[in-house]
Amino acid sequence: MKAGRVALLLAAAAVLEFFVGRSPYRRFLPIDWFLLATAVVARSGDFVRAVLAGTAAGALEDALSMPLIGMNAFAKAILGYGLTLVAVRVVFGGSLAVGLALFVASIANEAIVALLSALLAQSPLVIVTKDALWRAAVTGLAGGALESAWEFPWREWWTRRRLRRLR
Amino acid sequence: MRPHSARVEVAAVNPRRGGAVLVTVLLVWVLVLSAQAPARGGRGTVLQAWFLSLSAPVMQAVGGVSRAVSRRIEATAALFDAREENVRLRRELDARERELFRLRAEALEDAEDRRLLGAGSGLPSVIGSVPILLVERRAGVQSVLVGAGSAEGVAPGSPLAVPAGLVGRVVTVGRGVSRAQLLLDASAAAGARIARTGELGVVRGDGHGTLVLNNIATTSTVARGDLVESAGIDGIYPRGVPIGRVSSVARGSKLFLEIRVTPSVDFSRLTDVLLLAPSPAIREGVEAGRSASR
Repeated sequence: MKAGRVALLLAAAAVLEFFVGRSPYRRFLPIDWFLLATAVVARSGDFVRAVLAGTAAGALEDALSMPLIGMNAFAKAILGYGLTLVAVRVVFGGSLAVGLALFVASIANEAIVALLSALLAQSPLVIVTKDALWRAAVTGLAGGALESAWEFPWREWWTRRRLRRLR
Repeated sequence: MRPHSARVEVAAVNPRRGGAVLVTVLLVWVLVLSAQAPARGGRGTVLQAWFLSLSAPVMQAVGGVSRAVSRRIEATAALFDAREENVRLRRELDARERELFRLRAEALEDAEDRRLLGAGSGLPSVIGSVPILLVERRAGVQSVLVGAGSAEGVAPGSPLAVPAGLVGRVVTVGRGVSRAQLLLDASAAAGARIARTGELGVVRGDGHGTLVLNNIATTSTVARGDLVESAGIDGIYPRGVPIGRVSSVARGSKLFLEIRVTPSVDFSRLTDVLLLAPSPAIREGVEAGRSASR
C-alpha cells in the first residue's frame, strides 16, 4: 500500500472519529476507526508500513484524547505487526476470522494502554470493562463487514444484474 | 513516478525488517512517554494543546456536519411519532408548569435565605454552554473533547457540569478545542459531601462507569439513596453541585466504609455541557503562569 493511501486512510479514520464523536448515537458506535485503518494496512502484508501506520494512528488518537501521548501509538505499533503476521501467516480467512482478529486486537489494545497508564500515570489498572468489550465487538463487526464488502465480487454482480435487466 | 522494485517489495514484507522497525518505534515511544510522565502533574502536555489547536477547525467542521446529519435523521424519525410526541409534550408542559410554580416559590424563599446568609458567592458561575466533540473511554481513561478553548475563556481546571450534576474538569486547553477529564475517569477525584449528614469525603471514578466515595468513617449513618454533592474543598469544583446518589454501603476492612455512588449525570447521553468559571485558586495559578511566561 502506498504512503499516500495510508495517510488518506488515517485522515478518513480521524474524520470518522470526529463525525461519530459529535453524533448523539456515538454510544452505539464506539468503533475504533484507527485500529481499522491499521488493520487495512496490515492486510496488505507490509510489516514496515503496518507498524508505521499503527504508530501514526495511535499517536493521532493519543493527541486527541489521552492524558499521555504515546500509549496508543505504542499499542497500535505492536498490533500493526501482529495483524500483519496474522494476515501473512494464517491460512484461513473470511469476514468471521477478520472480525475475531479485530475483537482480540481491540482488547489487546485496551490491555496495553491500561498497563502503560498504570505504570506511567499511576492510574488504577482497568482492563476489561463493558465499554471495552462493546467497543471490541463493534470494531470486530465493522471489520468483518468491511472484509465481506472487500471480498464481494461487485463487478460480476453488476454484470449479472445488467444482463438480467436486458433479458 | 518511481519504478516498481521487486526487491523493495520483498524487503517490506520481511517480518525481520518489520520487527526491527517495530522495536525502534517502541523504543522511541518509551522515551517520549518517560519524558512526559514525571512532568505531567495531572495536566495535559503542551504538545497536546498545540495539536488540539491545530485540529480544531477540522473537528468543528466535521462535528457540524455530523450534527446536521443526526438532526436530519431525528427530524425524519420525528415525523413518524409526532402525534404521540404531541400528547407527551402537552403532559410534560403541564407538569413543568406545576413545577415552575413550585420553583418560583422556592426561589423567592432561597433568595431571601441567600440575602440573609450572604452565600451567593458559593454558587457556581456559568460561562456558557459548550458542545462535546469526542468521547474516549479506554483503559480507565474517560475523557471528552469540548468545542471551546482559550479563545472562549476556558482555563485548565475549569469545571464542567450539566443541570443534573457535575461532569468533570478541563485538563488541556487548545485555542478552539479542549480536553476534559470526566469524573468517571479512574484517576479523577473530587471533594464530596453527603448532603443529609454533612460528612466530607473524596469521590473517585472507578473507570467502570460508577463512582466510589472514600474516607467516610464506619460510624457514619450514610444510607442508600443519600445525595452526594461537591464540597468545594478541592480547589477545583464549586460547592453544592450534585454528584450522585449512594447506591450501596458496605463495611470495609479498615476504618472507612465502602460506598458506591451512582452518578446523577447520564454520561452516555452528553451532547453539550455547561462550562463553569474556574475556582479562584486555579485562576490565580493560571495568571501566575501567564505572568511567568511573559
